[in-house]
Amino acid sequence: MKKFLLRFNWLSFLSMIALIVIGAMVLASAGEARGSEVFASKWKSMLGTAVFGLVLYFTLALTDYRTLFSYLSIPAYGVAVFLLILVLFAGTEQFGGKRWLWFFQPSEISKLCVMAFLAYLFGSREDMFKGHYGFRGFLIASVTIAVPCFLILMEPDLGTTLTLVPAVIVMLLAAGVWRKGLIVLLAAGCVAATMVLAAVYEAEKPGVSAERRAAILKYVPLRPHQVERVKTFLFPETDKNDSGYNLRQSKMTIGAGGFSGKGYGKGESIRRDLLPAMGIMNDFIFCVWAEEMGYMKGSLLLIFLFAALCLSTAWTAVIAGDKRGRIFALGVATLIFAHVYINMGMCIGLVPITGLPLPFLSLGRTFLITIMCALGIVQSISLHREDEK
Amino acid sequence: MKSSYSVHGLVSFAVLSVSFVIGFLILASRLKVEQVDSAAEYRRQMQSQSFRRVQTSGLRGRIVDRNGVVLAGNRTVVNIAVNPESYRAKSRGETTEKNILEAIARAEEIIGRPSILDKDDVRRHLKQSLAMPLAAWRDISEEELARFSERQYMLDGFECSIGSERHYPYGMLAAHVLGRVGRDRLPFNPGDERINYIDKELCGRDGLELQYDTLLRGMPGEERVLVDALGFATEREELVEARNGFDLRLTLDYRLQKAAEDALRGLRGAFVAIDPRDGGVRAMVSAPSFDPRECVPVFPRKLYERYSKDPAKPLLNRAVAGQYAPGSTFKPLTALAALSVGIDPGRTHECCGYYEVAGMRIRCARTWGHGDMNLVNAIKNSCNPYFCEIGVKAGTNAIYSVCRKFGLGVKTGIDFPIEGDGLVPDAAEKAKRDPSVRWNSGDVAQTSIGQGLLLVTPLQMALVAAGLGSGKLPVPHLVEGHASPPKEIDIPERDFAHVAEGMRKVVARGTGRLAGERVEADVMGKTGTAEVGSRTNRRKNTWFIAYVTPTPKSAVQEPIAVALVIENGDTGGSTSAPKVGEILRAYYGESEG
Repeated sequence: MKKFLLRFNWLSFLSMIALIVIGAMVLASAGEARGSEVFASKWKSMLGTAVFGLVLYFTLALTDYRTLFSYLSIPAYGVAVFLLILVLFAGTEQFGGKRWLWFFQPSEISKLCVMAFLAYLFGSREDMFKGHYGFRGFLIASVTIAVPCFLILMEPDLGTTLTLVPAVIVMLLAAGVWRKGLIVLLAAGCVAATMVLAAVYEAEKPGVSAERRAAILKYVPLRPHQVERVKTFLFPETDKNDSGYNLRQSKMTIGAGGFSGKGYGKGESIRRDLLPAMGIMNDFIFCVWAEEMGYMKGSLLLIFLFAALCLSTAWTAVIAGDKRGRIFALGVATLIFAHVYINMGMCIGLVPITGLPLPFLSLGRTFLITIMCALGIVQSISLHREDEK
Repeated sequence: MKSSYSVHGLVSFAVLSVSFVIGFLILASRLKVEQVDSAAEYRRQMQSQSFRRVQTSGLRGRIVDRNGVVLAGNRTVVNIAVNPESYRAKSRGETTEKNILEAIARAEEIIGRPSILDKDDVRRHLKQSLAMPLAAWRDISEEELARFSERQYMLDGFECSIGSERHYPYGMLAAHVLGRVGRDRLPFNPGDERINYIDKELCGRDGLELQYDTLLRGMPGEERVLVDALGFATEREELVEARNGFDLRLTLDYRLQKAAEDALRGLRGAFVAIDPRDGGVRAMVSAPSFDPRECVPVFPRKLYERYSKDPAKPLLNRAVAGQYAPGSTFKPLTALAALSVGIDPGRTHECCGYYEVAGMRIRCARTWGHGDMNLVNAIKNSCNPYFCEIGVKAGTNAIYSVCRKFGLGVKTGIDFPIEGDGLVPDAAEKAKRDPSVRWNSGDVAQTSIGQGLLLVTPLQMALVAAGLGSGKLPVPHLVEGHASPPKEIDIPERDFAHVAEGMRKVVARGTGRLAGERVEADVMGKTGTAEVGSRTNRRKNTWFIAYVTPTPKSAVQEPIAVALVIENGDTGGSTSAPKVGEILRAYYGESEG
C-alpha cells in the first residue's frame, strides 16, 4: 500500500480532479445561462460520466499496462477501425458531420486505440525491426495511423486529426522510428504549411483582384470553408461574417472578463447569445470560464492545471518501466496539450478556428471517458514500473 | 537496459516539457493582452453590441384657430404589432420571416382584416429593424380590437399599442393652410450615431405643418433596447420620455374661414382676409381644395397622381402661390402714382370708350364712354381710358415705386413654406422676355389698368387693400405671436383720402355695390376683371379687394382687408363682389335694408 501511495502520480490525478470540478462548474453556469432545462442539467450528466470515468481510471490504473497492451491493443485498434467505418454508414449527422454512433463518438475513442496500438507496436515488438526502426518502421506507422485518420477525415472531423498527428509524431520520435527522415519530413511539413499560409495571405490580402485570387487558390489544397478560416486567422479584422464573427465574439467575451472576471454565474455572453450558440458548451466553453473568472482566477488557473497535468503525464515517461509505457505517456501528454493549445488558441485567434473540445470542460462524454482512460493507463505505467532491484 | 530507458525518457521529457511550457506561456501572454490590456475596449464593445438606441416621438402639437377651435388635432388609434423575437427561427428549415408571415396569416383570421404588411415589408423590417416591433395593423376598430383581445392567447408576440393619427374635426376646412402630414424617420441630431432606430413619426409635408414642423414635433425621447447577438430584442427601457409638440395657435378665425370656404365652394379661386392692424391672416382659402383626411395615415400615391393631374390643381394654395393679373383692382395704385407726380385729382379726362396709345386701342368697360371723369369717379366707375391717361403721364418709375411701397413684386414674408413673388414689369423685365420689342407707353397703359405682364398673389392684394384702407402695410402671418407693427407707407395722407373716397363710392354706388349690400360694416373696395389667355381662349379672372371697418352694430369689432379672386368669372362687380358681400354678411352680420 505504501508503495502504491508512493508510486501514484498524485499531481496528475489531483490536477485531473480539479479540472473535472472546474468543468462541472463552468457547465453548470453556462447551462443555467442558456435558460433551458436540457442544458441546465448537462453538468450533472458530465459529473456522472466523470464518476464512471474514475471507475475506469482506477480499474485501468490498477491493471498492469503491459497486460493491457499485450492483449488489448490489437483488438482495440481493429474495433476502432470497424467503428469508424460503421459511423460513416450508420452514424447520426450533427452540425454538418457524421460523428455520432448511438451515444458516443468513435473518433474520440479511436485516438486512444491508435496510440495504444502504436505504443504496443514500437515498444514491445522491437525484435521485429532489429534494433532501430528505419524507413520501414515509418511506413508501418504511417499505414497504421493513415487508416483511422482517413476515416476520421471522412466524417469530416479535422480537429481530431489535428490533435492526433502531433501526438503520433512525438511517439514516433521518442521511439526512434526513422528519426532523421522524420525530422526532415517535419521540417518539410512546416515549410509547406508556411507556404499555404503565405499563398492564402497573397490571395486574400486587400486589393487583390478576383482572377488573381482564384488563380492562387487553385494551388492551395484546402476546401473553401477552410480557406475562409485561414483567412480569418490571417486577417481577423476584415472578416465580419461567420468564422470571423465567431472569433470576434469569442475574443470579446474573453477580453470582457478582464483581470478578475465578472463573477461566477454572472457571464453576459450566453444570456445575450453573444457567443455562437452551437459552440457555447463545446468549442467556446473556455470563453465562458474566462469571462466569468477573469485572467487570474480563470485563464491562468486553467493554464496552470493543464500544465501540471501535461508535465506530470510526460514525467511518467522518465520513470516508466519500459519503452511502451514511455512513448504512450508522451503521446497522451502531447494529445492533451494539443487539445488545450488549439482550443484556447483558437478562442483568441492564435490558431485558426477548428471544432475541438477543451479536455474536461467541453461537453462531450466520449472525449471525457477517452481522456480519463488514457490518464488511467498512464497512472498504471507509473504504478507498475519495474521494481528497483 | 533500464538506465538507457531513463535517459531516453529524460531527454524526451525535457524536450517535450520545454515545448509545453513555451506553448502555455504563449497562451498566458496572449490572454494577458486580451484580458488585462484590452479589457476596457472589449467591455465597451460588448456594451455596444447589447444595446440599440431608439428615438421615440411624442404627440404632435395641435393646430387651433385664434379662439382655440381645433383645426388639426390628434386621434388615438390602436395598432397591433408583432415582435420578431417571438418568431425567431429555432430549428433548421425554419426562417423567422416565414414564421412571422404564418403568424400574421393566423392573426388576420382572428382580427378579420388583412394586415398592412406584405412579404417585402417583413423582410425589410427583419433586416433593418429586427429589434423593433413590426406594426402589422394600424387603426383597428373597437370590434376588431375585441376579437383580438379575446384570442390574444393564441397570438404569441402580438401586442396592441396606442398611437395617434392626425385628425381634422372640420374636415377640409383650411386644408391648404394646415397642409398635409406624412410619416418619416427624422433624426433629431442628424450626426448622432448612437441612435440605431428612429420611430416613424408624423411630419409636415407642406403648409403650416411643414413650416412649424419642429415646433409641432416636440422633443424626441430615447429608448434603450437590450438585444442578443442576433439582434432580437430582449428588454426595453425608456431613458428619456418624449415631450409632446407645442400647439399652434393661428390668427385664422374659424367663422370667417368657414364663411369664405362656403362662398367659394364649387369655384376656382382664392380668398384672403387680413387684420390690417397687425397682419394676422383671418382667413385664407384656396378653391378647389383637397381632403386632408384622405391623406391619413399616408397620402396614397394614386390620390396624389389624381390630384396632380387635375387641371383645377387642388393641391395648389392659390392664396399665396397663385399669380394673377390684378386687373382694375390695381387702379388705386395707379391713382396714387399719378398723385405722387402732381396730377390734379380734380382735373377731368374725357372717356370716349377707348384709349389709343402706341398704335393699340384699349377699350373701356362702357364701350360708349363715361364722358368726363375725375379721379374719384374714375375709380368708382373703373374707367380704363382715365387710368391709361394718368398712368402714362405718371410714368413707369412712379408706378413701380408705388408698387414697391405696397410690397408687390416681392414675397410678403408670410410664415408659409411657399409663396409667389408676383411681378411688377418695367423695361428690363420686358427685355428679359423679348429683347427685340421695346418698353413703350402702351406697356405703361396696360400696367396702369392691371393688365400686361403685371402679376400679383391674392395675399399681396389683401395687403394692398389693407394699405389703401389704413395707410400702413402690415406684415402677414398665420401663427399668433408673430405679429409685428405694420409699416407706414411713404405716401401723403391727402393722396390716400382721394383714393379712399373713390373706393367708398365703388361700394356705395359704383361697380362693387353688391359687396356692401346689407353688410353691417363700412366697406370700401375695388372690383377687377382681368383678361387672360390667348385671343381665342379669353378668360376672365374677377377680383374684389376691400377694406372693411366695423360699425358699432357689427358682430365683430375688428377691421379686415380682403382680396378675392375667382377664375373664369364674368366681371368683378357681378361675380366677385357678391361673394365678398356674402362672406362679410356672415362675419359682421346682416343689416336691414
